[in-house]
Formats: sequence, structure tokens, C-alpha cells
Amino acid sequence: MLFTMRYTAADRENITWGEKMLHEMYTPLLSGVKDLQGIGSGFSSFFEDKSSLNAQIDALEEEVASLKMEINRLQEYREEIERLRALLALQEEKEEYRLLAARVIARSPNNWYRFVTINKGSNDGIRKDLPVINKDGLVGRVTSVNQNSARVFLLSDREIAVGATIQRTRETQGIVEGLGQNRTLNMINIPYYSEIEEGDLVITSGLSLIYPRGLMIGTATDITKEPNGLLLTAKVLPAVDFNKLEEVMVIIDYNPEILEE
Amino acid sequence: MLRLLILLLLPLAALFLQASIFSVFNIKGAVPDLLLIFIIFFALINGPKKGGVYGLLCGLLEDLYLGRFIGMNAIAKGITGYAIGNLQINVFKENLLVGVISVLIGSILNIIILLLLTVVFSTSFSVDLHFLVDVFFHLSYNFLLAIPLYMWYYNSSKSGILKNNGER
Repeated sequence: MLFTMRYTAADRENITWGEKMLHEMYTPLLSGVKDLQGIGSGFSSFFEDKSSLNAQIDALEEEVASLKMEINRLQEYREEIERLRALLALQEEKEEYRLLAARVIARSPNNWYRFVTINKGSNDGIRKDLPVINKDGLVGRVTSVNQNSARVFLLSDREIAVGATIQRTRETQGIVEGLGQNRTLNMINIPYYSEIEEGDLVITSGLSLIYPRGLMIGTATDITKEPNGLLLTAKVLPAVDFNKLEEVMVIIDYNPEILEE
Repeated sequence: MLRLLILLLLPLAALFLQASIFSVFNIKGAVPDLLLIFIIFFALINGPKKGGVYGLLCGLLEDLYLGRFIGMNAIAKGITGYAIGNLQINVFKENLLVGVISVLIGSILNIIILLLLTVVFSTSFSVDLHFLVDVFFHLSYNFLLAIPLYMWYYNSSKSGILKNNGER
């Protein structure tokens, strides 16, 4: 014993095989006990610190809620940036027009009219009858102007009509009119001999005094012959989602009067 | 005085909410008619004459805001207010269902009057399936909103800020 005491008193290079075996035998048991200690301390702290844990949970829940709001806000910003980028691209693409970006601040308060109010008015150069577009196509036209806001009647309103043509043939003429709802437009007065087909893209004809040629209106569907047999009618799925308008562009430098000048 | 102020502010607030929040949170493109709902509640509690006048004024406010066919909503809402006001003495206003069903009946009547006036004054109007779908969602929206709004309006008229006791 004295020998072993003396031998093991100093630092050793290796432990003996007997010690190793013993350690190996105890290791799992001690690990188990350690785990149990963890459970035990958690168990006791559950009762001891219940109130502080509850407070912690409340604080974390608040943090989660606030982070969720933050994520939503950032997603909104991201979508807004994407929309503004698209508008910027549109402005660069449509070099022939001078465009003014505007934000939709209100919509029609009832179901009989389809219009939006934008945050730009006469102070910004907006005038009555200016066409309004977004990245997808024609939105409508300005019908009344205040100093700092303007009302834009949408293409889907019953009182709005636009001279239109089929992009593929460039020959078929007609008039696209709103039906008072945002999902479908009506193209009327199409001559019976027109080569219009379902899926054809409908654009502005340029014959109207208000809208320049080539603005996208939508896609022709459901072509039917009028009872008199001389004219065709087509439903048009609008290119613009009128329910989701947030930013628009007003074409402020396209006006027949300006062109004549 | 406060009551009058609230009665004045309610249609203004209703119009603002319809043009902003409710037009964004629409049901399939249909927005509710808060203005009409308040007119119907007012008429139900105050009778046909006051209901008719209140409806007419609120409708005129809406017409002035819309800026087209001015007078159409004034007529429609005035008649609706008068018609619903006639129910005043014949129904138990305490019952929530009375308020909600009145909104439904008033909304249908208002649409019929507007439809008749539109057909007379507008050449480009036709009743199609889309219109009927919009009407259905519009009525549903009014119906849903009428439930909490009538609870508030009736209680306010009975013992709150809308109580007509000559003191307010």
C-alpha cells in the first residue's frame, strides 16, 4: 500500500489497466447520474422558479410576436421595392412617355363605380383625361383632379370605353368597355370578318383621343357573334389586377393637344 | 349636442372606412355599405321621417364624394331610410335579429332603387351574373357587419352617446 501510495503520488504517464477498467465501468453510470442531476435540477427549478419561467415565457412570446410583426413589415417593404422597381423599369422602357408615379390612397366606397384616388394632383401636373398605366398595362384614366389628389376611373368601370385592337393582326378594331366588376371586360363592335381568336392580346388602338396606341389591355376569350350577325363580341381578361393596385403611372406627356402642338 | 355631432361624424367616418379599409379588405371585390347600415339603424330607432331625412343627407354626402349621378344615392338612401323607419313601432328593436334583418331588407331595397335609377340614367348598364355575384357578396358583407354594429348602435341609443334625452 505504501508502495502504491508513493507510486501514485506523482503525476503518471498512464493509469493502470485495472483503473481503466473501473473508469470504463463507471463512465456510463456517472453519465446517467449526471443526466439525472440535470433532470432533477430542472424539476426542482420548475417549482422554484415557476414565476420567473412564466415571466420568461411571456417575454419570449412578446418577442416572437414583435419579430413576426417585423417580418411582416419587412415583407411589405420588399414587395413595395419590387413594385417600385417594376415601375422604374417601365419608366425606362416607355421612353416616349413622360410618366409620373403615384400611389393609390383610396378606392371606390361602393360597388357601383370602379375608381381609385391617387396621391398626385394638379400641383404635380396631373390633368383630366390623362391615361394611367402600371407595369401590366392600362389601368384607366384621370376623371377629376384636385390640388393634391386625382380620381382615376378604372377600365372596369361601366362608363369607361377604350378603342382597342388585336396585337397579332393589328387589323381588328373594337371597343373595350368595363362591366362594373374587376374580373372581366367586354370587347364590342368587332367586325364579323375579323381574325380574332381566343388568347389574342388586346391593346389600345390609338384611335381614341385619350389613350396612346399599344397599351396592353388584356387577353381575348369567349368570342361570340351578335344576333345581327354583323358584329362579334369578346370577353377580355384584363392584364391589370384592379383589386391589387397600389402604385400606378400617369402618362402626363401624352395628350393629343400636345401632339398637335 | 354630442349626439348630433356623433350622428354627423358617423357617415363621414363610414365613407372614409369604405373608401380605405373596406375597399382593400373586400369580399370578391364587393365592399360593404356602412353608410346605409347606419341609416337603417337610425331609421329603425327614430322613425320614418327622421330616417328619410337622415338617409337623404347621408346619400347626398356620398353622391358629392362620388361626383357622378349626384342625387341617386340621396334618393335611394332617403327612400330606404323612410321605408325602414316605418318598422319602428312594429318591431322589437331590442332583438339583434331585427337590426340584422332590417339591414338585409334595406340593402336589397337600396339596390333595387339604385338599379332602377341607373337603368333610367345610364345607357351602359346591364344586369348579368357578375353583377348578381357582387350583390350577393355585398349583402353578405352588410349582414356580417350589421351584427356587431347593431349591438353597439342600439346600446348607444338606449343608454349611451346616441341617446336622445334632450341633454346631449
